[in-house]
This record gives sequence, C-alpha cells and structure tokens, in this order.
Amino acid sequence: MPMLLSVIALAGLFETLVTPEMIQSVFKGSLVEDTLIGTGIGAVSVGQPFLSYVIGGELLDEGVSLYAVTAFILSFVTLGVIQVPLEWSLFGTRFTLLRNSLSFIFAFLIAISTVYIVGLLS
Amino acid sequence: MNKEQQSIIPKRKKEKNRSGFVMLSVVGCMYLLTFYFNPQAGQESLLAAFKILKMIIPILLVVFFLMALLHTFIDSKSISKHIGEQSGVRGWVIALVGGILSHGPAYVWYPMISDLRNHGARDGLIVAFFYTRSIKLPWLPLMVSYFGLAFTVVLTVLVILSAWIQGLIVDKFTALLEE
Repeated sequence: MPMLLSVIALAGLFETLVTPEMIQSVFKGSLVEDTLIGTGIGAVSVGQPFLSYVIGGELLDEGVSLYAVTAFILSFVTLGVIQVPLEWSLFGTRFTLLRNSLSFIFAFLIAISTVYIVGLLS
Repeated sequence: MNKEQQSIIPKRKKEKNRSGFVMLSVVGCMYLLTFYFNPQAGQESLLAAFKILKMIIPILLVVFFLMALLHTFIDSKSISKHIGEQSGVRGWVIALVGGILSHGPAYVWYPMISDLRNHGARDGLIVAFFYTRSIKLPWLPLMVSYFGLAFTVVLTVLVILSAWIQGLIVDKFTALLEE
C-alpha cells in the first residue's frame, strides 16, 4: 500500500510539473533521434491515455514527425518511470528490467513499422 | 513448503514494506521541496494526486475483489493450467484479451498479477498482458479522429503481434536462465 500511494503521489507531481510545452521543446527534427526522444518522453509522462493523443496531435501540428508521436503515445501507456519502484518490489529486478527494455525497444520498432505501413496503404 | 521457504517469505515481505515506506518518504520530501519552491505547483500536484486516487478507487476495489476470489476459489493447479507453463494457445488468448479489456493504470493491476505469478502464471504471458494494455478500447474513436482509421488499425494489430513476440522472448529468456 505505501508503494502504491507513492506512485499515485508521484503521478500527481509529474502531471503538474511536466507540461505539454516542455514536451514540445525537446524534439529536434531528426527522425531517429525524435523517435527515441518520443519514447523517452512517453515513459516519463503521466496521465489518462487520451492525453497522449491530444498532446500527440499538438506535436504533429508543431511539425514533430508521426514516428516520434507514435512512439510517444505507445510508451505513454507501456512504459512508466514512476511505477518502476512498485514493479520492481513486486516482480523483481530481472522481470522489471526485461519488460521495460522490451517495451522501450518495441515502442521504437512499432512506431517505425506503423508509419511505414500506413504510408504504403495511403 | 519447507522451513527455509517459510523463513524467506516473511523476510521478503518485510523488505517490500520497508522499500514502500522509503519510497513514500522520498516522494513526501519531493512534495515538501515543491511546496517550498512553488507552493501553487505543490497544491496542484496534491490535487492531481487526489483526483487520480479518486479515479482508481473503483478499479482498486475490483482488483481486491478479484484477488479475494482468486485466494478463495482458484488454486495454483488451475492457474497453472490456464496461464502457466502448459497453458498453450489458451494462455496467450487470456493474456492478450485480458490486457485489452483491463482498465485503469497498470500499477493498479500489479498486486493481482504478482499474486497470479506467485501461483504459477508465466512471465511471458504477464509481459504480453501488460503490453496489450496499451490498446484502450474506449479511447479508440478518439485515436481515429486524431490519427485516422488506417493508423489506428495498423497500430492496434502491431501492438497485439508485438505483445505476443515479447512474451515469447521473455519465456525463452526465462527458460535459458533456468537451464
């Protein structure tokens, strides 16, 4: 219970301190770099899943690539820096490391594949 | 259960409790610092945390109810049969569909899933479950309106496929380590 309360309290802190403007400012225009940044930013962002679509839509309007936005909305839900301590305490180091590493790698790979396939379809 | 195992479990439980309190103290200090440097942000953070707590209480109740059911009616044998080593296709379907249908933040599900794991649920299926949680059925129409139908369909299919692949990788990795 204390760990769960910590995660909730951390989520409140992150939701207030990490603003959409801060997220927008870190993208640089390079495709690979931005996709990696999108994955990383999604991992530290907190909130309802629909927020990632809204922020993602704003990022697209600002000229950020769909690769980066896709990676961001994916890692927003599959990765969570603030919940790592709870995951680690319940599932152990090996599981936590493996699951989060795979989520990070696959957010990148799925982003690239999704945009590529959608490009082929349209 | 032998004596050695019995003596390890309370010790691990104590460690978990201690790490929980340490984490809570660290977060408490972060709040104090935020209140000190930016009282308004501190207040907003606290309000946001209460909002999150209010939102997840119903889901937490469902999870605790499911955990109680699990302890009362389901034994390790049947868990092992459905989502354990020999669960086969049925296990994958349960994990992938369960992930898509589960609501709320992932951490709310951690206690129940960890309980299932202690009763014999496979790591690969747990990883697959957590990955398909990125498909949020109620929010799909919003995703379509922002990014289009083709994008939403392709992303959803790829997430399910990659959840399965990640599960396979984890199972393989776990088997290699246990050999």
